[in-house]
Amino acid sequence: MAGSNRFLSLLYRKLSSLRTSVYVLGVLCIFYVIGTIFPQGGDINEYEKAGGRFLEAVRLFNLLDVFNTPWFLVPAFVLFLNVSVCTYDRFFRIRARRGAAPAAYSPDCTVHLALTRAEAEEEVSRILTRKMRFKVLRTGTDWTVMEKGLSYRWLTWLYHAGIAISFVGFFISGLFVREGIITLRPGEEVEIVSTMPENRGWLVPSDHSPPDFKLVLDEFITEYTESPRLDYPKDKRSRLAIALGWKDLSYRLDEDSFFPKDWFSRLRVVRNGSTLYEKKIEVNDPLRFEGYTFYQLAYEQRLKLRVGERLVEAEAGKKVDIPSIGTLRFGPLRTGTLFRLDGTVDKITPFVTVKRLSGGKTEELGRLVLNGHIRVGKSRISLVDFEESSVLSYRYDPGVPILWVAGCIVFAVMTLRCFGRWYELAYRVEERDGTTSLLVSIRSKGLGADPTRVIRRLSHHLPGVRS
Amino acid sequence: MSQELILSRDAYLLTVEVRLFWLVALVYAFSALVLLFHILTRRVGIGRAAQGMMWAGMILHLGWIALRIFEGGRAPFQTLYESLSWFACTAVLTYLVVSRKWRDIYLPATFVAALSSGACFYALLSRSPAVPPLSPPLQSYWFEWHVVLAFFSYAVFVVSSSIEVTYLIVKPFLNRGADEVFGLTRSNIREFRGTAFNLVLFGFPLLTFAIFSGAAWANEAWGRYWSWDPKETWSLITWSVFTMYLHAMSIPKWRGNVASALNILGFVCMMMTFLGVNWLAKLLGIPSLHLYAV
Repeated sequence: MAGSNRFLSLLYRKLSSLRTSVYVLGVLCIFYVIGTIFPQGGDINEYEKAGGRFLEAVRLFNLLDVFNTPWFLVPAFVLFLNVSVCTYDRFFRIRARRGAAPAAYSPDCTVHLALTRAEAEEEVSRILTRKMRFKVLRTGTDWTVMEKGLSYRWLTWLYHAGIAISFVGFFISGLFVREGIITLRPGEEVEIVSTMPENRGWLVPSDHSPPDFKLVLDEFITEYTESPRLDYPKDKRSRLAIALGWKDLSYRLDEDSFFPKDWFSRLRVVRNGSTLYEKKIEVNDPLRFEGYTFYQLAYEQRLKLRVGERLVEAEAGKKVDIPSIGTLRFGPLRTGTLFRLDGTVDKITPFVTVKRLSGGKTEELGRLVLNGHIRVGKSRISLVDFEESSVLSYRYDPGVPILWVAGCIVFAVMTLRCFGRWYELAYRVEERDGTTSLLVSIRSKGLGADPTRVIRRLSHHLPGVRS
Repeated sequence: MSQELILSRDAYLLTVEVRLFWLVALVYAFSALVLLFHILTRRVGIGRAAQGMMWAGMILHLGWIALRIFEGGRAPFQTLYESLSWFACTAVLTYLVVSRKWRDIYLPATFVAALSSGACFYALLSRSPAVPPLSPPLQSYWFEWHVVLAFFSYAVFVVSSSIEVTYLIVKPFLNRGADEVFGLTRSNIREFRGTAFNLVLFGFPLLTFAIFSGAAWANEAWGRYWSWDPKETWSLITWSVFTMYLHAMSIPKWRGNVASALNILGFVCMMMTFLGVNWLAKLLGIPSLHLYAV
C-alpha cells in the first residue's frame, strides 16, 4: 500500500513537472519530423514502387500513418496528462499562495521623506491605492504588499486549462468525425453517405445512421478574370539585365489567359421532396445544416464531342485517346462570366483548348467553341454539349465547437499574459535617527510592465521627497 | 483605358518595382558587408554607419511594399517572391526598433542584414515577380491576419536568435576576463540576453494566433482544421520548440545554454516552416496544400 502510494506520488510529481513537458514535447517533435519525411496516408505498395526507402522500418512502425500509431498517440496522451495534472496542481498552489505569509523582501529602492512615519504610511497607501490603482494583498506585518494588473499566475493557469480543453476537442474530433466527398450533377438529388475513418477502436460503434436529408445542385457558376502572362527571363543574367535597365518587362495575353476568380454552387437541402434550406456556396463560405458542413472543393467538366459521326465523351483537363486521331488533351472548359482587365464584363461562349500529344511532342490545335468545330487531319471534332458537376467535401465534427472555445481562451489569455502588465509591490516605512525612509520592492511580469516607471510615479506623487 | 495601355502601364510599374527591389537587396547586402568590416575593425562608427544603411534600405523597402500594394490591389504576400520580401522587411524593421534599446551593439545586425539580403536576392534570382490574381482559397478574411501575424512572429524570432547567437559568441570572452566585447560588458549582457527572451514572449502569441487562424481558415475552406500537411506540421514543431524554450527559461538549471540552444533551434525550425518545407515537399514528392505559395 505504501509502495503504491509512493509510486502515485512520484507519478504525480513527474506529471506536474515542467521538465516532463519539455521532454514530451521533444519526443513529439521527433514524430512530427518523421510525419513530414514519409508521405502520410500513402499506400506501402505505392511507396515501394515510387522507390521509397527504409521499407522495413516503414512497415514495422507504420510510418506512412505515423499520427495514428501508438508510438505517437502514447506521448500525445502523456502530454495531455501532463497539461491536465499541471493545471490541477497549479490551481491549488495559486489559491494557497494568496493567503500565505509574506515572504522576505529585499528593497529595490529607498526614498527618504520629510514626513513622520504615520504621515508617510498614510500618504504611500493613499497614492498607491487611489492614484496608481494598486490593490492591497497583505498588510499588518512589516511589509505591506500590493498588486496591480491581472494576476499572471491565473492567466498562465487559464491558458494551460485552454490547452487541456483543446486536447478534449481533438479526442472528440478524432473519435466522432464523419466525412466524405460527393459529386453533384445539376438537378440530381444526392444522399449523404456518412463515412467514419478507420481505427476508431471499441470506443465508437461502427454502425451509425446517415442523415435523412438530400442535397440538390440547382446551378454551378464559374467566374474568370483575365490574367496576362509576364515575359520574365529564366536565366539569372537576363534578370540582372532588367535590374541594370538594359531590358524591360512586358505582359501579354495568351489564347487562354483566364484565371478562375471564383466558383459557386447553388444548393438546396431537401427532405421528402420539400426544400428545407437554400444557399449559394463558394470556397471559404460553406453550407451548414444539422451539424454537417458542405464545402466547395472542386468541379468536374464532361465534354460531349462529335468526332466524324461518333459521339465521344471526354473529361476537361485530361487526356483522351481517339482512334484515327491519337491522344488529345483538352484544357479546362471556360464558361460563365469573364471580368476583363479594362473593367468590362463578358458572357463567355463556352470553349476548350485542344492539344495533340504524339511522340513526346505537343501540338496546339486551337480553341474548340460550343457548337463549333476544329479539323484534325481529315477528321472533324465538334463540341456538342458539356456538363459541369460540383465536387463537395462534407464533414460532421462535434470537436470543432470545443476547439473554437479552447482556441479563443488560449489566444486571448496568452495575449493578456505576454503583452499585459502585472506588478507586485511591497513597501515598508522606517524611521531611524529622525529620518523617515520608504523601502520599496517591486516585481513585474509581462511585456507592458515597467517597474522603474512605477517607482518614478510614486516618487513624483509623494510629498516631501528628499533628494 | 484600352487593354494595351493597361498592359504597358502594368509592365512599366513592375519594371520600376523590380529595380527598386534590387536596390533594396543591394543596400541590405552592402550594410551586411560594412558590418563585417565593423567586426574586423571593431570601430563603432562603422557599425553606426551600417545601421544607418539598414534604416535607408528599410525605408526603400516600405516604398516597394506600397508600390506592390498599388499594383496588385491587395496585401503583398501571396507568392513566395512577395513573402520573401515581406520577411526581409519585417525582420529589418523589428531589429531596428528593438536595437533602439541599446547603444553601440551591432553584432546582431550582421546576422539580420545578411539574412534579409539573402531573402531578397533569393526572391529576385529564383522567383517570378508577376502579380497573379488572388485564387479562390486565398479570398478569405483570414488571409491577411494569418500571414501578417505569422511573418511578424518570424521577424521577432529572427531578431531573438540574432541576439542569442551574439550572446553565445560574446559570453566566453567576457568569462575569460575581457571588459568589453562588441559593446557588451559583464554588466549589460544579462539585460541584452533578456531581450531575446522578451522577443520570444512577444512572438509566441503571434505564432499561436497564426496557427489557430490557419486551422480556422482551413476548416472553412477545405473542411479540415488540421491535415498534417508538412507546413502545418513544421509550424507545430516551431511552436513546440519555442514552448520548450519558454519552459526551459523557468527551470533555473536550463536557463543557460539549454535555453540558448532551444531558441536557436526554434529559429531553424521557423526557417524550415517558411522555406525548407517547400523544398522538402518537392524533394520527397509529398503533396502539400501550401505549395501554391511557392
